[in-house]
Amino acid sequence: MIAARAGIRLVQDRIAALRRAVVGEVEDTNRLIYHVLRGGVLVSVAVLLFGFILVGAKSAALPDHSVPPRSLIPQLVQFTPAGFLSLGVLVLIATPMVRVLLSLLSFAEDGDRTYVLMTGIVLVNLLISVFLLA
Amino acid sequence: MSPVEVLLLLALAAFFAGLGGSYLGIGGGVFLVPFMTLVLAVDIKRAIATSLIGVIATSSGAASVYVRDHLTNLRLAMFLEVATTIGAITGALVALLVPAVFLYVTFGAVVLYAAATMVRVRETAKERSYRGGEEEPPLVKRLSLNSVYFDQEDQAVYRYRVDRPGAGFGVSAAAGLFSGLLGVGGGFIKVPAMNILMRVPMKAAVATSNFMIGVTAAASAFIYYSQGLVDPSLAAMVIIGVFTGTNLGTRLLVRAKAANVRFVFAIFLAALGIAMAARALGFSGVV
Repeated sequence: MIAARAGIRLVQDRIAALRRAVVGEVEDTNRLIYHVLRGGVLVSVAVLLFGFILVGAKSAALPDHSVPPRSLIPQLVQFTPAGFLSLGVLVLIATPMVRVLLSLLSFAEDGDRTYVLMTGIVLVNLLISVFLLA
Repeated sequence: MSPVEVLLLLALAAFFAGLGGSYLGIGGGVFLVPFMTLVLAVDIKRAIATSLIGVIATSSGAASVYVRDHLTNLRLAMFLEVATTIGAITGALVALLVPAVFLYVTFGAVVLYAAATMVRVRETAKERSYRGGEEEPPLVKRLSLNSVYFDQEDQAVYRYRVDRPGAGFGVSAAAGLFSGLLGVGGGFIKVPAMNILMRVPMKAAVATSNFMIGVTAAASAFIYYSQGLVDPSLAAMVIIGVFTGTNLGTRLLVRAKAANVRFVFAIFLAALGIAMAARALGFSGVV
């Protein structure tokens, strides 16, 4: 009975050690990506909730058109609901873009040229999408 | 329906989209676009734009957890994202130009195809783990795409190799195209492609697909935004609903059995395919 338990314990320790070994190498990048993605969504949700509070506080109509990026700052200064709701949406769209930028830096740090190139292409594609019709 | 009722219904739908999306490795757009166009009577291009925002929220919420738990193959994701982003930009530009009826019909056809593919195959995580002895494709070696993941269900680390990188790249470009065109994540194309074609274990495929979906959707979301197609109130409700749903969905996946994930996925797609076919038939009079 005791031997069986010790055996199970040994196997569990082995698995834990193996997991640590696998996880150790990639821990930094993974943690960073986790925080960026999670943080981006949280900031976006917070800004959006603030936007809805403004709708209530100002008894304003719910905005149905987003604010073009050019006129975003004046809208934010005036605390318009449309301004903050648009900002929340833009923060969310920007979140994966920031993630790609961080991946690029992380690959560059490792001196991994192939992946710097590949991540660079993805980043350029994202920038094209931003400036293409703006 | 009053605007407030529309928003509350949408938040509820987005909750389920986030829940199902994160659990199944799809963006949830396949729920959201039909729901918005049919139930809430939102114009299809605006629905696609709003859905893309929801897709980014699903992906970012779910992907972050999978990355932390080492289910995601970051290199494979980066490699395939080159294809998905190019596809997504192209898809968005096409969507802006074509008439709405084209989008409805394509939506139906794509989802039906996905359902058919998925139902045909049955494979579990373990069968997809490492097989030694065979020659590795040179591209896989050069990009070091092979990886390991930790399976919480089995308390074991699985090493796996990736096959057919070229074919996976091509399919990913198509997935990106449909993502930008239809406002879906494209996970229902990428997950089977990774699992069946590239032989990535199911859970790693779901996590990796989810990770890629955010960047893919971001590549087309801003194009829609710049054309004034994003309704900030609708988008805000979708983000909040999805955020809540993914928080629950990711907890389910980490504990789920691989076979169950696959089963839910197949059933879901089959049901969706049938529903979409029925709708596509009725649409000619509506649009």
